[in-house]
Amino acid sequence: MFKNKNKSNTFTPERKLLYKKRTLSVVVNVVRYFFLLALSYVVLFQLFFMISYAIRPKADIYNPSIVWIPSDITMDNFKMAFEELDYLKTGFVSLWLMEVSAFIEVMVCAVIAYGFARFEFKEKNLIFFLVLLTIIVPTQMLIIPMYLNYAHFDILGIGKFFIDTFHLPDFRPQLLNTGLTFWLPSLFGVGVRSGLFIFIYRKFFEGLPRELEEAAYVDGAGPLRTFVSVILPSSGVVFLTVTIFSTIWHWNESYLSDMYNKGNPPLAVKMDYVKTDLLKDSRAAGMAACLLFIAPMLIMYMFLQRKFVQSIDRVGIVG
Amino acid sequence: MKKSLKDFTRKKQMYGRMFILPWEIGFVLFFLQPLVQSLVFVFSNVTVNFDEGVFETKWVGLSNIRHFFYEDTVYVDNLVDSLTSFIYTIPLIVALSLIVGVLLNQKFKGRIVFRSIFFLPVIIATGVVMTYLQGDATAQAMRSGSSSGNGIDISNILMSMNLSENVSSTLLGFVNQIFDLFWDCGVQIVLFISGLQSIPEQLYEVCRVEGANKWEEFWYVTFPMLSGTTLLVIVFTAIEIFTDSGNKVMTYGFNAMRQNMWWEGPTMLWVYFALVGAILGLAVLLIQKKIFAKWAN
Repeated sequence: MFKNKNKSNTFTPERKLLYKKRTLSVVVNVVRYFFLLALSYVVLFQLFFMISYAIRPKADIYNPSIVWIPSDITMDNFKMAFEELDYLKTGFVSLWLMEVSAFIEVMVCAVIAYGFARFEFKEKNLIFFLVLLTIIVPTQMLIIPMYLNYAHFDILGIGKFFIDTFHLPDFRPQLLNTGLTFWLPSLFGVGVRSGLFIFIYRKFFEGLPRELEEAAYVDGAGPLRTFVSVILPSSGVVFLTVTIFSTIWHWNESYLSDMYNKGNPPLAVKMDYVKTDLLKDSRAAGMAACLLFIAPMLIMYMFLQRKFVQSIDRVGIVG
Repeated sequence: MKKSLKDFTRKKQMYGRMFILPWEIGFVLFFLQPLVQSLVFVFSNVTVNFDEGVFETKWVGLSNIRHFFYEDTVYVDNLVDSLTSFIYTIPLIVALSLIVGVLLNQKFKGRIVFRSIFFLPVIIATGVVMTYLQGDATAQAMRSGSSSGNGIDISNILMSMNLSENVSSTLLGFVNQIFDLFWDCGVQIVLFISGLQSIPEQLYEVCRVEGANKWEEFWYVTFPMLSGTTLLVIVFTAIEIFTDSGNKVMTYGFNAMRQNMWWEGPTMLWVYFALVGAILGLAVLLIQKKIFAKWAN
């Protein structure tokens, strides 16, 4: 058949164009796969590197003939890292402190973003500019005043004023080493990267059709009720995105929790504390610790990734 | 009728303010107050009384800032270092994520797998894990592909292409740089993909009807339609690099805070922030005016 075609006509311009197009698409494909594979290699390499070292017995670590596959599989490194990290305890602290905060943040930011997305009022743009400002200013600049405030929690110095004027005993609560250091900011929508999440939510809500909400209003539902029963059910996609980001960023957060929760460190901070101990003998225990650290997030991602990767298609975060 | 409409808009305004009220409270308590306080620190001599949770500040004017520029030997160097790396890493990261985003947005076999892989840096490349890996010279060498025994040996490939040593070492450095920068691209790629998804398909159809090629399609449709996303990505990247704990000014600032020199940290960071903010603002303005305005017309 192919021969026939060749015989039947010489190189017409159309045919030439077709061939050109075909070769072009082959070239594009080759370049694309090469490029993507090379970058995937960079990422996966690191993961396999960690695994390969974490399961190595001591003898294999400095054996130059062993590159990837160890002669024997051992769990000793994991055991050591597990004990050094006090994994169950610090892991629970991470869950309780950080992930509860992540959950609060995901909910609260949605509510706030809905206010920005659907209602008009004079100062809206100014306030949204301030939201963007909270994204840009690094927390490092705020940490000392925040730390002092958490040590004796006070609202704009009102408590201090009462104590001084009426000579009261110090009633200001001490919040350091409690979960409130993270829960409170999250509750008010100024937690870990909340500004960015408000931004993402707002873009998404603005893209939703208004008809459904108007129908709810006509039926006499209040705005909060409309939000819960009309907006929430159709926003699964953006919730998934924000939840994944918030969970991961909270899990990895180590700077603030190192300041606020020294006495009760979450996993990310503990990792930093035991680093020299773990890397003392060899890198194997350190790699095992890294794997233990990223494992919960990796597992969560594995469960959600299919939905997430497809949902990126539909979020339309920006535009 | 008219009156009730007015009532309705007023009511809606009130609802809107209600939704945002918690954020306003949080902003004042957990952002504005500490921000102003740390700004005061810049111009003051601070003594902290931990037992009472109060600090006393004595106004010293610009002497804190002057200290870093005239007496401190390291700060200015660090600052220049950070700012220069800033200027070339941001465009590289943005370009790399844009390329990967465009590639992953196309329909081809295995794109779901690639997308999952390319998000992994967000999980793996955290501050803590990176310090574990960076302490590890072998891992770095292997990652850049210059190891012996396994991996792709890029330097060998370059050598076999008969390039002069200078050229090949520059190229190698560049490739390594890209590999390293790729670790910071996870979120940006996601942002770009979702930005690409929101471009209406009709625009591409118009292009096809008009007979534009892929390249023209990219420059006249994709790129201008992504202007909002690009700005967001630029700002996000800048903040990431700006606040990265591997950043020299940042590390220096941390250490100062741990030594209880209360005014040092805020001063260093405020100066840094002001400079970065100025550069960033200028860049964003320029981009908006020069590049995106061209298409808007």
